[in-house]
Amino acid sequence: MSYPVWEVPNIGNGWIIGLIAIFHVFISHFAIGGGAFLALTETLAYKKNDDRIYDYIKKHSKFFLLLTTVLGAVSGVGIWWAIGLANPSGASVLIQNFGLFWGAEWTFFAAELATFLAYYYTMGKMDKKNHCVLAWIYFGISFGTLFVINGILTGMLTNGGWLNAQGNIVGTVYDSFFNPAFWPALAIRLFIMFALAGIYALLTASTIKGQDDLKQYLLRYSAKWMLPGLIAGPLFVVWYMFTLPPATQQVIVSGLSSLGEGNFSMMAKVIFLCIVFATGLIGMVIVGPFLNPKGFNTTFALMLLASGFGFMFTEEWSREMMRKPYVIYNYMYSNGLRKNQIAQVNADGFFKSNAWARAEGATLAKEDTVGHGKLMFRYQCMSCHTATGNGYRSMARLLGERDENAIANLITLMKDNHVILSEESKDEKGNTVITTKAKTPYNGYMPPVVGHQDELDALSKYLVTLSKKGMEAGAEKAEAQMATESAPQSTTTKS
Amino acid sequence: MAFETFKKMNLLKFGYDWLNQRVPLEAAIKFATKKEVPVHKHSIWYYMGGICMLFVVLQLVTGLLLMVHYVPSYEGAYQSVMAINNKIPFGWLIRSMHSWGANLFIAILVIHMFSTYFMKAYRSPRELTWFSGLGLIGLAMVFGFTGYLLPMDEMAFFATKVGVDVAGEAPFIGELVANFVRGGEEVGQATMNRFFLIHVCALPAALMGALGLHLLLIQIHGISEPEYFKKLSIKKYEKFFPDFIMNDMFVWGGVTLLFLAIVCLNPWPLGPTIDPSAPAPIGIKPEWYFLSQFQVLKLMPSQFLFFEGAHVAMAIIGAAASTMVLIPFLDTGKNPTISKLATIWGVVFLIALGVLTYMGLQV
Repeated sequence: MSYPVWEVPNIGNGWIIGLIAIFHVFISHFAIGGGAFLALTETLAYKKNDDRIYDYIKKHSKFFLLLTTVLGAVSGVGIWWAIGLANPSGASVLIQNFGLFWGAEWTFFAAELATFLAYYYTMGKMDKKNHCVLAWIYFGISFGTLFVINGILTGMLTNGGWLNAQGNIVGTVYDSFFNPAFWPALAIRLFIMFALAGIYALLTASTIKGQDDLKQYLLRYSAKWMLPGLIAGPLFVVWYMFTLPPATQQVIVSGLSSLGEGNFSMMAKVIFLCIVFATGLIGMVIVGPFLNPKGFNTTFALMLLASGFGFMFTEEWSREMMRKPYVIYNYMYSNGLRKNQIAQVNADGFFKSNAWARAEGATLAKEDTVGHGKLMFRYQCMSCHTATGNGYRSMARLLGERDENAIANLITLMKDNHVILSEESKDEKGNTVITTKAKTPYNGYMPPVVGHQDELDALSKYLVTLSKKGMEAGAEKAEAQMATESAPQSTTTKS
Repeated sequence: MAFETFKKMNLLKFGYDWLNQRVPLEAAIKFATKKEVPVHKHSIWYYMGGICMLFVVLQLVTGLLLMVHYVPSYEGAYQSVMAINNKIPFGWLIRSMHSWGANLFIAILVIHMFSTYFMKAYRSPRELTWFSGLGLIGLAMVFGFTGYLLPMDEMAFFATKVGVDVAGEAPFIGELVANFVRGGEEVGQATMNRFFLIHVCALPAALMGALGLHLLLIQIHGISEPEYFKKLSIKKYEKFFPDFIMNDMFVWGGVTLLFLAIVCLNPWPLGPTIDPSAPAPIGIKPEWYFLSQFQVLKLMPSQFLFFEGAHVAMAIIGAAASTMVLIPFLDTGKNPTISKLATIWGVVFLIALGVLTYMGLQV
């Protein structure tokens, strides 16, 4: 929690990570699925002894090389840059606890790059059979990168026996790595990668000139790469859903079930859109390159690519939102506060517990409660909220017409946001039944607010300045001040 | 017997034969496969017509679904729209699709119109196709204007009030038209009755007529080819059916995805209920497709030489619009200078439209 805050107006720092990450995922998935595509297509060319397919593979692999090794690698580094700035606490936990896996990931990545360079530059110079083997080796190594990152990513949401209910580490990193969602998520990602490999291949195949029969053959062939996801994808999605933490399942189910009545929970809408994009994409591939390869051109391929990006965007966004309010489920909240730190921070006070906030707070006058409240907001809320205007989850918009009392009550409620109440009762047979219920309705959506009462009061005072009522009161105060300042002047003139 | 036949044939062939015995399906398919669509570097613009058709269908379907729950009364309209938004399953989605669809429909129609304009598709023998297209844009704008009032929220009420008042500024018949549309001096139940009737009965009937004529004329004259394409020695064509239709379906898929993304991420809002005695909210302005005209009215001083400013502004708007009507007679393709001037005028018209709309949005 003791890191400076990177303030990004209007969109918030989370979106910087999000945008870079989604862009990266869209390319990195191609790096793996595309590896399978190259290997299988080269095997096909070898079996058919068709030089025209070899020519296409050469063209496609050049595109693959530029896209994955340049944009993919740069955006991958970009994610680290962004999370280092936006969520250093989360980055530090990942590095400190999963160092072994990150080491493995980067080793695989370096090997992946080297193998692909060898694959590309030996094309046409190496024995065809051995070159085909090289393609399969590339796919194997790139699958290794998926295997490792899948364990780390899924462990951030469904961390298995790594943690206990209080958020203390009790297991080994392998418990987190091979977590309940590991296998279904691995399968889902593979299906998505195959589908993306097909979509990218449609783009390169659509540019083939003067060989209509080959073009149409490759378009239909590439379209079929959507099939695994179409057939088995939904089954693995259902399996994945069952592995999610019960609170996350509840948020999804309640969001989706009330979507019809206009529940505008962002997660429900994004999941809904994700389903729409997946269905639409499959429909477009069927009526486009599969049934009508003759009419399929590069513009249409770009449309498919854009739709594929839309799918990836919604899929990754909803997956990230499932983890809210945590960045590492049940361990660290999105603002960097660890679950097992709450009691300590509440006892010591927020400013004492956060070195950067304390240093910045020391520059303020003691009576500057609004200034201290603003610091509380920066360090506890800004990882998810912007302050003013129409920014992402802007507090000014969310607070609306709330007055000082309403805001203070909200903060009090938010302080117990992590508390789960349990109640013992007896069923008809006399057995003891324990029912648990969150103390506040924000549980599962937001982290608790932590600190001493005077610090929470300061936060309330600052939030009032953002709300509509607070702004109006501020304007009235300013007007009154202007009136008082101008009044003696007019009196002087009169006298 | 039918069962025996069914057993011998596959399902598709059975269905085809059954239909073909009752309607001239084979003849229709023969006609559609005979029809060809030119393939060239500007072919992408041919899909705009299909996208417009998609939005017509979406508007009709969502409009019908909304009518199931909508109460067309001055008192009950707002509550019914509120219920559609919050209680009726997926009512918010249908309403948002209808409202966003109306706006996107007009946007695509404008793009379709200008792409047709720059491809000189208004020239003989396609003048009537061009006029029916202009008529469709006019109808779409009236659809938008009449539909805007129906939710009866604050913005709808005051924007309609301002819009009708502006129409009332027109010389000679303005007041008469405004009173007729309002059904009196003020926007009220009578206005609601008129707008609803126009929106759900008169306009759909007119739209079907204009659209039918437009499509019929396209069938008669075929799809227009750009001048440069006509001069090519080797021309490429694709069959309208099934090739172009399949491509159209693909484009519809893409557009629908984009449309649903917009609708889901930005559901159409419903403002506060109306208070007729309250002053109009600050910054009230018409829908974006009326903003350029509105901006001309705003930029004009109240008195211009010997004339009322509003009258001059309306004359300018009318004159600019009439160039679009007259263009098939002015640019017949026989005079290259006029042809170039028509293109330049199109660019000026488009830029002016964009700049004025942008200025209108800033206020």
